[in-house]
Amino acid sequence: MPSTRPTRKATALKAAPALAKKATPEPTKKAVVAPKSKKRTVEEARDDSEDEFGEVAIDMASDDDEEDMDGDDESDGAEDFPEEGEEGQDMSAADLEEDEDEDSEGSYMDGDSIVDSQEELDEEDVEDDEESDFDDLVEDDIDPNFGHNLNEPLAPESDYNPIIREYPEIDPVYDSDSSTEENENTVGNIPMHWYDDYPHIGYDINGKKIMRPATGDELDKFLSTMDDPDSWLSAHNYKEGQDVKLSAEELEIIRRLEGNRIPDADYNPYEDQVEFFSSKTEIMPLSAAPEPKRRFIPSKHEAKRIMKIVRAIREGRIVPRKSGYVPPKPKYYNLWNDAEDKPREEHVMHITAPKMKLPTHDESYNPPAEYLPTEEEIKEWNEMDKEDRPKNYLPQKYNALRNVPGYGQFIQERFERCLDLYLAPRVRKNRLNIDPESLIPKLPSPRDLQPFPTRLAIEFLGHEGRVRSISVDPTGLWMASGSDDKTVRIWEISTGRCMATYYLDELVTSVVWGPNKEVAVLAVACGYKVGLILPEKLFSPELALHTEEYLKAGFASVTTGEPNPKAQWKQPTPAEFEKGIRVWVHLQKPVKQVTWHRKGDYFSTVAPDANNSAKTKGAVQRVMFHPTKPMFFVATQRYVRQYNLQRQELVKTMQTGVKWISSLDVHPAGDNLIIGSYDKRLCWFDLDLSSKPYKTLRYHQQAIRSVAYHKRYPLFASCADDGNVQIFHGMVYNDLLQNPLIVPVKILKNVHQRVDALGALCVEWHPTQPWLISSGADHTIKLFS
Amino acid sequence: MGKLHKKGKAGAAINYITRNQALKKLQVTLADFRRLCILKGIYPREPKNKKKANKGSTAPSTFYYAKDIQYLMHEPILGKFREYKTFAKKMAKVMSKGQYSTAKTLAENKPIYTLDHIIKERYPTFTDALRDLDDALCMIFLFATMPKTEKIKSETIENCQRLAAEFQHYILHTRSLRKTFLSIKGIYYQAEIKGQTVTWLVPYQFSQDVPTDVDFRVMLTFLEFHQTLCGFVNYRLYSDVNLVYPPALDLKLDEGGAGMNALIIESTQSSANIAKTVNQPITSSVAASLSKEEKQRLQESEKRLKSLSSKIARIQETEDNTTTAENDQDADSAMDEFPAPLPNLDGTATGTVTFTDIQKASQHLTHFQSLFSNCAIFLSREVPRYSLEFVLRALGAQVGWDAVLGEGSPFDENDDRITHQISDRPTQGHRFLSRQYVQPQWAYDCINAGKILVGDAYFVGKTLPPHLSPFVEAKEGDYVPDANQFEGQTEDLAIESGDEDEEDEDEDDEDEDEEDADEEEEEDAEHKDLHQIELEAEAKGVAFTEFEAKENKKKTKAAKAAAEPAASSAPATRSAGKKRTAAEAEAEEAKELAKIMMTNKQQKLYTKIQYGKDKKAAEVEKLTKKKEQLAKTAKASANKKAKK
Repeated sequence: MPSTRPTRKATALKAAPALAKKATPEPTKKAVVAPKSKKRTVEEARDDSEDEFGEVAIDMASDDDEEDMDGDDESDGAEDFPEEGEEGQDMSAADLEEDEDEDSEGSYMDGDSIVDSQEELDEEDVEDDEESDFDDLVEDDIDPNFGHNLNEPLAPESDYNPIIREYPEIDPVYDSDSSTEENENTVGNIPMHWYDDYPHIGYDINGKKIMRPATGDELDKFLSTMDDPDSWLSAHNYKEGQDVKLSAEELEIIRRLEGNRIPDADYNPYEDQVEFFSSKTEIMPLSAAPEPKRRFIPSKHEAKRIMKIVRAIREGRIVPRKSGYVPPKPKYYNLWNDAEDKPREEHVMHITAPKMKLPTHDESYNPPAEYLPTEEEIKEWNEMDKEDRPKNYLPQKYNALRNVPGYGQFIQERFERCLDLYLAPRVRKNRLNIDPESLIPKLPSPRDLQPFPTRLAIEFLGHEGRVRSISVDPTGLWMASGSDDKTVRIWEISTGRCMATYYLDELVTSVVWGPNKEVAVLAVACGYKVGLILPEKLFSPELALHTEEYLKAGFASVTTGEPNPKAQWKQPTPAEFEKGIRVWVHLQKPVKQVTWHRKGDYFSTVAPDANNSAKTKGAVQRVMFHPTKPMFFVATQRYVRQYNLQRQELVKTMQTGVKWISSLDVHPAGDNLIIGSYDKRLCWFDLDLSSKPYKTLRYHQQAIRSVAYHKRYPLFASCADDGNVQIFHGMVYNDLLQNPLIVPVKILKNVHQRVDALGALCVEWHPTQPWLISSGADHTIKLFS
Repeated sequence: MGKLHKKGKAGAAINYITRNQALKKLQVTLADFRRLCILKGIYPREPKNKKKANKGSTAPSTFYYAKDIQYLMHEPILGKFREYKTFAKKMAKVMSKGQYSTAKTLAENKPIYTLDHIIKERYPTFTDALRDLDDALCMIFLFATMPKTEKIKSETIENCQRLAAEFQHYILHTRSLRKTFLSIKGIYYQAEIKGQTVTWLVPYQFSQDVPTDVDFRVMLTFLEFHQTLCGFVNYRLYSDVNLVYPPALDLKLDEGGAGMNALIIESTQSSANIAKTVNQPITSSVAASLSKEEKQRLQESEKRLKSLSSKIARIQETEDNTTTAENDQDADSAMDEFPAPLPNLDGTATGTVTFTDIQKASQHLTHFQSLFSNCAIFLSREVPRYSLEFVLRALGAQVGWDAVLGEGSPFDENDDRITHQISDRPTQGHRFLSRQYVQPQWAYDCINAGKILVGDAYFVGKTLPPHLSPFVEAKEGDYVPDANQFEGQTEDLAIESGDEDEEDEDEDDEDEDEEDADEEEEEDAEHKDLHQIELEAEAKGVAFTEFEAKENKKKTKAAKAAAEPAASSAPATRSAGKKRTAAEAEAEEAKELAKIMMTNKQQKLYTKIQYGKDKKAAEVEKLTKKKEQLAKTAKASANKKAKK
């Protein structure tokens, strides 16, 4: 079988539709093309050769005879290799000999596999015979060129002939690539566009130009492709500048390459190995070196090492391995010795792991029916996160022990326990094992602390607005109330009758009776002014006269000097005078509170809007005279300050700790005071003790509006926006070492209804009786006894 | 000015160490550190102030006590871990080279560590070990039922089975089982060993489903420790009652599925005896040359041997009467050791534990320990023998079982001695008239009740009474499911202890009488002139209201005492809907008032406690309501049936 060498010319093959190459009408052309296309089918090859013969016949008549002879020789049983060798030799020889016309054939033969066409073979052989002929070198070079170029090189041939050095014939060895080449373009593997501007496309082995073969225009190309049914089998060879038809073998090679197979179908990659160095003693060994010494003389080094081991064994350093190795078993013994063992000392940092919780009834396989979860509970349990579940199982009931299945979470739970034991941070938690009742302070029973008001006695109805302020006169017979309906009413306490009503032109924010029993005067804060009212009808004429004089004297003393722009004393109109109003004091800002000095000589007003916060250090909420000493208390938003009126200096600042003081009252003894705040707190201050509250209580649900001490009894009360009134027993001891005793004694719940988030607004104690009067946003005044 | 204190040089900052710091310090991997922690019982802490402990950082981290880690540094096991690491490396190298014989040698010289010193360290006294035995036993009983997997070796499982069986044998031998409970998770047992209660949970014997979300490395490290602990504890327990440890294994019985019976429990003295008796003829022949003293000693030993041989016989018998007797002796001797009650200076013995109390308790115990001693109980093939046999034998029963349940049954089903047969089937076909047929729950309920219950309620196929947990100690306000559960009469078996019971009751009666006497005294006091008492109280400084309240209390007590016989069966929980009396309302108001005077701290604490209490109360109420509802529906359905 002839072996084909596809690599030879496949380098610049480009599969392309056959160009304008009219194979059939121009046999010469075909002949030129033919040598390049190795993959042509056998039939084609034959046809071509026949065609060629048809043309060449005239010139090569003699050759034909020889061909035949050679053909016979070949057919006798030609070997592949020698033939190839011959072929290789042929090539150069043939090249040299052949005529232009012949050349085409020769080259064709040359490139193609020989076996396919017997005739070709023959022809080759003919060339073989004509080895010695070197004349036609030049023609030989040109012969790859196409027809129209054929004539051209003839002229230069004659010119160059003497110059060209003729190479001695190369005797190509077997397999030599070049041996099979003929008229090869020798430019090598370069980009062929370098030759685009030249008429030639390269040089042959003898340095002769290889002219560019003629190419038709696009139309020609197209027509040729249309005409030639095999055009799809051709590829463009750039090196040769023309299309070549691919032979069947070449196509087969391409197919194999595409399939990632070895191109040569006959190549066996798994040839039997030839064992050069084997156990067999060859008659002609590859190496005739004598056997080295080490092959037959024992090693000294090894002997040394062995002796080392032998010695070790003899000395007992190496003990031979016992057969049947058994891993040692754990051995148990009495680890504890009661006589010597001492229990571990308790250490603060040592925290023993808590034991597992013991099971409860609901873990039973047959629990009482009430422990079984309802469907909702089951659903809830299932929907809950695993971590949130109070217990990690759902109680279940089985009728008999045989029905109880294995618990699926057993290993997981044990694993979790293991994790808890070594991963869970331990912390010592002191569980308070105390009875919660013990936390509740032991207080004297309220019943022991009587009297204090407990039940509603009288309700005073008549006001049509919030009753902001109430005041009981020092005799305890009358009560005045000021309301948002711009009236001041005076009530008889014992009956609840409204004795007098004063209609004013502003909201009444504060009403206070003068504390002096010999003077019956009621101070009323109403808008920007303060009025002093003498309710003549209620009092005896003597008292009324005395009051009249008292007020006149006071008015005179105030108005004689330089008029004070901040407080202007004015006479009321006759109509007002008729009603009982004796004096108006006009102020610059709305008055919120009026308070009397204990003797009734002075009174003080509070107008929080007056902007003199630099002096007072905050908006003033409440003021109060000391009941016994010339002291004055000013409550700003967060502090209560005590001033000495004689010395005109600050005595003390009490830090209340509340956010916003709402009310203030001083104990009749003068050493204690309470404040109420809008943040629900009530603070008791012991003035001798500290500037911080002795007790802060938080029991109201809403802001405290008012606080009040009883003048005689150890009682105080607070009222708040939640409508409740709280009554406390607040005992102050003469002994300085004993702290005041504060005991809540009564909660009067929902005394006043909440209206617009306001509940009880004011509380006031009866001066002599343990009665409490409260007024509220629900327009009522209530008396509790 | 005092000494300047640098930040982070004292307190929490040096007391605690984070886990990563610990790893760095010990130069171990996290896995090794975890193993160390498990074996050494070192656990993370929760410092009071994490920020201070973490040197200002608030990043979440685990803290260990610094001294714990310091103490780990000197742990010999740590060295072994390192050795093992190198061993593993060598092994891998050798194996990859294919040097298998070297690998074999290496494998034989594999570093092995023991945990003996750690056990001793963690449990300096035996009592400490017993106290921490719960988890170990749970683990061992679990792994005794585990299937062999890639991670769990069959040797481990076998060892666990063995340890479990050994421990159970000890419990049987000393009759120290106290409580049992059939839960949905498994069976709980509680035993009292040397004054320590040990509780363990045994899963029902089904093939365990080995979960994938469990890290068995952790479990096995724990198991490793628990096995060692159990081994040492078992050794100690066995040697304390003069038994040979480890007990031999009867392979034939083991293969026959005898379970824990496959272990041959021997007394140390018996084995010594056998050896001696064999030697005796020789020694006696040589005795001529022995001195008199030695002869005497020999004689003594012979005597002792005789008495011992009888003892051995007793021990080796499965019959239990003798052992109970022994136990009785033990108990008696134990009783003797109690210090006599110190003569009270006042001459009164109130408030202290009297000798008679102790005696009574011990009598009660001995009675309990031989609860089933007169019973021969046969187990049908469908009941769990692994648990019932243990439970029944632990209280003195003779137990036989169906051949299906394994070899080694002392008697078969047709035996005349059988008093009870435990079976768990819908109906019982053939019945022996001489025996009672009961369901397994009977045995457990009997133990928890401390007496043999009448089997009627537990008859085969009957709906069982609820099984309650014996571990719940009902406190005040707790929900008590059904107090009458255990009120079933004891059986009319000829038990000597029955008389004791009666005695007990008599004593109870006496106590009651005493109480009555106290009350009478009080009543007498009441007859005194009330006014005088008032005066006295005033003199003492008692507020009038307090005094009054006292008086009221007395009165109500008297009233209650009068009403008690009539309304003794009334439910303890009072229905919330009842109208409050004036006094109650007043008391409530007083409480509300007093709450005002609580400090903020107290208030918070009070609400916290009250929250818990309320929650508990709500739970109780829920249960009561549920029960009422159930009773109602049951009644309605019964009525319907009756109508039909």
